[in-house]
Amino acid sequence: MIKVDHLTKRYSGTLAVNDLDFEVKPGVVTGFLGPNGSGKSTTMRIILGLDRPTSGSATINGQRYADLKEPMREVGALLDAKAVHPGRTARNHLRALATSNQIKRARVEEVLDFVGITAVADKKVGSYSLGMSQRLGIAGALLGDPGILLFDEPVNGLDPEGIRWIREFFRTLANQGRTVFVSSHLMSEMAVSADEIIVIGRGRFITSGSIDDLTKTAKGTVLVRGSDHDRLASVIASHHGVVHEANDRGLVIGELTSDEVGQIAFDAGITVFELVPQRASLEEVFMDLTADAVEFGSKTAGTS
Amino acid sequence: MTANESTLWASTKAEWIKFRTVRSSVMGVILTFVLIIGLGILVSSLERSHWSQVSTLRQATFDPVSSSLVGILFGQLAVGVIGTLFITSEYSSGSIRTTLTAAPNRLRLITSKLLVLFVTILLVGEVVCVAAFLIGQKIYFGVVPTASLDNGAVLRSVLLAGVYLSLLGVLGFSLGLIFRQSGACISLFVTLLLVVPIIGFFFPQSWQNDFQRFEPSTLGQSMFSPSAPSNSFGAWTATIVLTAYVLVILVIALTLFDRRDAGAVA
Repeated sequence: MIKVDHLTKRYSGTLAVNDLDFEVKPGVVTGFLGPNGSGKSTTMRIILGLDRPTSGSATINGQRYADLKEPMREVGALLDAKAVHPGRTARNHLRALATSNQIKRARVEEVLDFVGITAVADKKVGSYSLGMSQRLGIAGALLGDPGILLFDEPVNGLDPEGIRWIREFFRTLANQGRTVFVSSHLMSEMAVSADEIIVIGRGRFITSGSIDDLTKTAKGTVLVRGSDHDRLASVIASHHGVVHEANDRGLVIGELTSDEVGQIAFDAGITVFELVPQRASLEEVFMDLTADAVEFGSKTAGTS
Repeated sequence: MTANESTLWASTKAEWIKFRTVRSSVMGVILTFVLIIGLGILVSSLERSHWSQVSTLRQATFDPVSSSLVGILFGQLAVGVIGTLFITSEYSSGSIRTTLTAAPNRLRLITSKLLVLFVTILLVGEVVCVAAFLIGQKIYFGVVPTASLDNGAVLRSVLLAGVYLSLLGVLGFSLGLIFRQSGACISLFVTLLLVVPIIGFFFPQSWQNDFQRFEPSTLGQSMFSPSAPSNSFGAWTATIVLTAYVLVILVIALTLFDRRDAGAVA
């Protein structure tokens, strides 16, 4: 389990992480979500003992990372796939890592094989594509067969096949009872790969919970296409619904559920051809949640 | 073996793998051999062929030990670069973050790196200096006066030459740890060894003697000369002074390394 306790990090005046408090539990994939520059990477670096917190703490199973004797056996991390000496081969890179944590050499071959880069293991890492580097990074994270795994923006630079592979991989790790902590700035990515999410913005905790919980709190809309849009709009309005949009594709209705819209149309004798609850407004939920917390929001043209 | 000892040994073995699996260290070691032995051969041969034209004063003060080791003047730059790159390449590639997640105890990590660096350069240095010395004497033989390792002072000089190189390797490493940037460190290293003596040359004569004996390159000369050059320290004192320099810079480097964030790279 990862525990972050009143964590604050200040870089020469800028507050990168501000009194952050959360726990990451085993057995599920936990997404760490926030806009770029919201402090996700900083938090992960502090968890891994790379950066020193200004105040507060981050612990792994109750211990500071720096106090772990052979950390790769407890925590596997992939922060930056390109953070490898470009002149060294993948096999030598992994051998050095394994040696430092007294992991047997055969394990290097196992992880190379698992991520599918055995054939290029004796090539210099500098010649690798981003996707291959990601695989090498994952191999390194798995070397010590750790119970806790951290990945910073792992889908960046992956092709669709790689993205699907990595999602299934996270799922497998969580099903094995491991703690899987994955950061992303894309809500849509988290929606398909994470069970729980922790949302931060400008270094502050915003919310956490399951994807379902979060989308329930969001106001969804309903798309309806029927035989008489004008009359449908007026009965919807009389039932306190709000028509956001009306066009050939149908009406986009807020404040009512799809069940309610269907019943209203039926009662009014309007044939419904299509009735779609649009709960997939995850991106909107995220935008709403972090609207005040975007560090570099796009501004409208003009003086500001 | 306690856990602490075994983890230090494990991370030292890991650093040894890292050291020998990149081209820069391998090339650095080869360059050290080529420069020290190659320049030794060149200078010794010139010395022999021009011996009859050399003044009697120079003939009388000729030191066959330090002249056969003259390649150290350039070889010292190669070992400095080996030491610097051993740490700065971790920063330029970002691999310091991977290294530190595998070995989060920073003091232990640096101890491991220093063990690898110091022992490797010491072995390379001793081999290359003994070789350059023996080859030089072979070239001098019959024309120019020669020295023998049977003489205690000569043996001391040749062995301390290797120590000098390994101390400079550690100096390069420590500067690398402070500045985390290859270019700056290598320039500074060259300045300390080759430019500082030139600056000293412009000082008033009365200062020069005091200043010069404290210069790293003069300390080196004292270390690998059988009899101390005028106005300079004896071999052992010079070794202690140079070690003290290196240790001071190393302690500064370690203090900074322990405090700094490893995520942000300069």
